Amino acid sequence: MSALNLNEDQQDCLQELINVAMGQASDQLARYLDTFVHLKVPSIEQVDAKSLSNSLNDEQMAVAVVSQGFFGYEGIRGEALLIYQPRDSDRLADLLGYEPEELSVEEQIIDLSSILTTTFLNVFAGQIDNQMSYSAPRLLSSTKSLVSEHLHQLSFNWDLALKIKITYQVTDYSFNCDMILLIPESAIINIKTVLNRILDEF
Amino acid sequence: MSVDNFCETISDQINTGILVVSLDFTIVKWNRFLQVHANVTPEKVLGKCIFDVFPELPKKWFERKLSSVIQLGTQSFCSWEQRHHLFELPHTRPITTDSHFMAQNCTFLPITSDNVITHICILIEDATDVCHYQTMLNKTLESLAMANRIDGLTQIFNRKHWEECLAKEFSRARRYNHGLALIMFDLDHFKLLNDTYGHLGGDKVLVETSKTIQSLLRLCDQFGRYGGEEFAIVLPETDLVGAADVAERIRAAIEGTDINFQDQIIRTSVSVGVSIINSQDKRYEDLIQNADNALYKAKSSGRNRVCLSTELP
Repeated sequence: MSALNLNEDQQDCLQELINVAMGQASDQLARYLDTFVHLKVPSIEQVDAKSLSNSLNDEQMAVAVVSQGFFGYEGIRGEALLIYQPRDSDRLADLLGYEPEELSVEEQIIDLSSILTTTFLNVFAGQIDNQMSYSAPRLLSSTKSLVSEHLHQLSFNWDLALKIKITYQVTDYSFNCDMILLIPESAIINIKTVLNRILDEF
Repeated sequence: MSVDNFCETISDQINTGILVVSLDFTIVKWNRFLQVHANVTPEKVLGKCIFDVFPELPKKWFERKLSSVIQLGTQSFCSWEQRHHLFELPHTRPITTDSHFMAQNCTFLPITSDNVITHICILIEDATDVCHYQTMLNKTLESLAMANRIDGLTQIFNRKHWEECLAKEFSRARRYNHGLALIMFDLDHFKLLNDTYGHLGGDKVLVETSKTIQSLLRLCDQFGRYGGEEFAIVLPETDLVGAADVAERIRAAIEGTDINFQDQIIRTSVSVGVSIINSQDKRYEDLIQNADNALYKAKSSGRNRVCLSTELP
């Protein structure tokens, strides 16, 4: 077991922090979007660069992948990937409260990604007495192909990452998307420090 | 000088527009970047509504955007890639780019006082340079992708791209049980043409033949240069009778076309092989093999003729 793996306590602690953050984020999103937003229980796992593409392969045909970097105090940083399926993008403008002709589908997707990512991470950061800043969200690709192909285009310079996957469901708009938080090797150790502190205080 | 004054100096020297509005869209801060680019002094805009100062703003969109910042208490972004600019401002490369207004990346930040959001700060970055180079890059990528598909001499599909098209059409026809025909043809005695008129003459024949045939095809037909003087056409949704008809029209058109080359008239002809997809074909290569066999038959039985891989029904 590598020093980068979370032990059982750390994993439980992270899971609990995320669960609480999900509850609050879903509440805020529901109020802003004026509809129920369900966040499905996350999966937390370690991935290496090679297996990331494989582990995302079951996402099948994605129309869009949006990336947004996040960074906070104590070296907590990473990248959020929002992954959309073709059937999900029909009624986005409606969901976001814009007139469809006011903005392109790409802008809708980017806008929603930013809202989902920042809302969740702001709450999460609050849980660990932190505060997040964000880079501007970027559409990595919007052509119809496998997510793994989108990721193949990126060159990775990391070996291991902590992967947290959360699925968002907006039932009224039959909308789903996946948020995948990837925390690079260099920041995992910082996360562990924070988790240990919380466990000690507990 | 106090640190507060430093901040004032920095916000006036920074190459980013800093605009702060209160929750009712009244402008309360306007840095030098905006004063210079919009050519309006702070006295003229402070206390005014942002929609009066910038009537070009998409009002409903802008209000909803700001409401997300206020309600969710989080930053929001707007990139030139999706929305070239929000504010109609001139930019720093009016001479060397063709952009009319400054391309912008805008960030919307909530400003809180005692945990309550009181204002929104809008940061406006000039992205004209990035926009210009990205647009040039996209154009270059497009033309590279094009060059990758096209045969330089004849301007029809090259062998590689044509074969990819055939592979796609083959699997589609298989899946939906649709018709698919393949025509392959060869310029007769092309070596003799080259020997008689030189390679420039031969090239001219290849170019003119391609043009003539392109005009006989439907939009969905895929026409490519298979090898030196060998061409191939994929005809989706086509049966043997239809393909034989197209093949004969091609043969007749080439036989009847005069090609002018350096005050001489070159006449040529083609031998044509036709095949259609059948239940034994496992791979698209089988279709090529059958068309090629038919083409060989056309050549060996006297050239300037059409042969089919199977008998007409």
